[in-house]
Amino acid sequence: MNSTATAAAPELPTKRDEAWRYAPHADLAQLTFGPGGASAAVPAELEAQIPVFDGPRIVVVNGIVDPARSELATSITGLTLSTVADVLTTEPESLTRHFPTDAEPVDAFAAFNAQFGRDGAVIRVAAGATIDQPIHVVDLALPGAGHNTSSTGVVIEIGEGSEATIVETRLGHGTESGGANVRTTITLHDHATLEHIVVQDAPPAQISLSRVDVTQGANSTFRGRSFNLGASYGRVAHAVVLAGAGAHAELSGLYFGFGDQTLDQQVDIVHAAKDCSSRQLYRGVLDDSSTGIFSGGIDVQPGADGTDAEQENHNLLLSDRAEANTQPRLEILADDVACKHGATVGQLDETALYYMRSRGIPAAEARRLLINGFADQVVDHVSIDALRPWIIDRLGHADA
Amino acid sequence: MLHVKDLTAAIGDKQILKGLDLDVGAGEVHAIMGPNGSGKSTFAHTLAGREGYEITGTVTLDDADLLEMEPEARAAAGVFMGFQYPVEIPGVNNMYFLRTALNSVRRTRGETEVSAREFLSTAQEAMDLVEMPKDFLHRAVNAGFSGGEKKRNEILQMAVMQPRLAVLDETDSGLDIDALRIIAGGVNALRGPERSMIVITHYQRLLDYIKPDFVHVLVDGRIVESGDHTLALHLEDHGYADFVNHDLDASGRPLSGATS
Repeated sequence: MNSTATAAAPELPTKRDEAWRYAPHADLAQLTFGPGGASAAVPAELEAQIPVFDGPRIVVVNGIVDPARSELATSITGLTLSTVADVLTTEPESLTRHFPTDAEPVDAFAAFNAQFGRDGAVIRVAAGATIDQPIHVVDLALPGAGHNTSSTGVVIEIGEGSEATIVETRLGHGTESGGANVRTTITLHDHATLEHIVVQDAPPAQISLSRVDVTQGANSTFRGRSFNLGASYGRVAHAVVLAGAGAHAELSGLYFGFGDQTLDQQVDIVHAAKDCSSRQLYRGVLDDSSTGIFSGGIDVQPGADGTDAEQENHNLLLSDRAEANTQPRLEILADDVACKHGATVGQLDETALYYMRSRGIPAAEARRLLINGFADQVVDHVSIDALRPWIIDRLGHADA
Repeated sequence: MLHVKDLTAAIGDKQILKGLDLDVGAGEVHAIMGPNGSGKSTFAHTLAGREGYEITGTVTLDDADLLEMEPEARAAAGVFMGFQYPVEIPGVNNMYFLRTALNSVRRTRGETEVSAREFLSTAQEAMDLVEMPKDFLHRAVNAGFSGGEKKRNEILQMAVMQPRLAVLDETDSGLDIDALRIIAGGVNALRGPERSMIVITHYQRLLDYIKPDFVHVLVDGRIVESGDHTLALHLEDHGYADFVNHDLDASGRPLSGATS
């Protein structure tokens, strides 16, 4: 029936795959993949949901860059914006990290993405450039025609000593099942700094799969933020390799679930060089019968002496049917390593609610203040002023 | 103003208040003293509306039945409780918290909300009153505050809320002498003919700074003695023994304490 899937379709992960343990496997099996099709019409209400802030924007609709909504020509010095499809035509060898020929894809969805994700955004920052305006990649999924899941690629390369901020927003529309499978490959050269924000808020019928692979050169800094808010199954996976000495990775994330959502964060940080540091700070708010997953890996390879790694995961359960799964995965094969991890699962502080109510704040408002206060501790990490209220606003879903 | 009649409070099988009577007139300051476990904090929480107690009796403030009200409604009716252990609320900043609180009670009372600008001047006055540092408004509520800062914050909140009845639960506990002076100064500045206060304390020390009109001794869930501020001085010298064991002596005299 599904003509677009290849005969030798890759095998889907199962419950026995640790990284996919809590995923809804029956729903994942319903996803169908194929090459990006003609741009679907973007409804006005979806357009209105896109956060707006100054800076160049690239919009991808069902896996194909929409030129009418995108600004690829930029006058910002040191910045080059292209489409994956164009670069595959003009200089395909520059995309070998994103489309490797010498390595097996990590899982079936990476394989589908490599096969069908032949368009998307390529963002390159030349050495020694500071890009002041955030670059916005918007991925819109409108399931319907042919296959139900779009495949998009995002390739980011930050030159030596350069600085940039990039936001990837993932939204969808409609009540049909399907979704988006987006893969991002990031290369930070020595002394480069990148703040990279993934915001996922797909409709409840859709699945959102994100995978971000990061390789960091010496003394580079990666600040990865993820906001996993919508989708029946929302997955944000980060695999970061600290390849050069003195590199620093700082990942933080917020997942905010309601209904019967499953929101999954999979983080792997590989310390492959000396004197690197990494931080993971993830917070989950889970209402109704939603499920949150945080699986955080710290892998300190032989020779990566002087490693300083910390991981924290805090969960707030708003309902007795909600569930939080938290799992630290530490593998330490070097000396002189400082590694810390901690996790908590709790409920709203009744004493704090009473304290606020005793000051005249109505119970519902006090609850909202406490929940937002918990979430703000991740939202505050976002440096783009215009994006923070957009995120806080979307959190309101949980009360709907 | 406040009338408390035959108030009892229990948690499960444990009876804590056993028939407490108290009348507080407008502008009066009443001190309640008593040994640990006598029910002082429970009394404060029954006025503020904490859940979890089984309560009988009557409590009215300006003829309104407090016991029927949710905590936020009591705040709107003019009750303010200074907590013995002020709660830390990470992620919620003082400015937002205070302004939300003030505008919530104003809304409930049918008054207009204060603008951001009006609020800032109100907050600044309150901050000056208890010598709170400039960055206070941008810090999270009580998070990372020292013991003294937390207690000063209670008085600051009271100054912003301008309550009709302030119930200060061991506001002096854990304070050094400088912090005690600042807090007492704040409380005294907020005294007025239309505002009543109930000051709960273990120690007479606070009452050197905040001179009460009446002192009550609370023992085993009841007020067993009332007097003027000299009663506090007596307690300071003789402890609570006069009142704690007075029913154990066959002759009707206390078994221990200041009988000499």
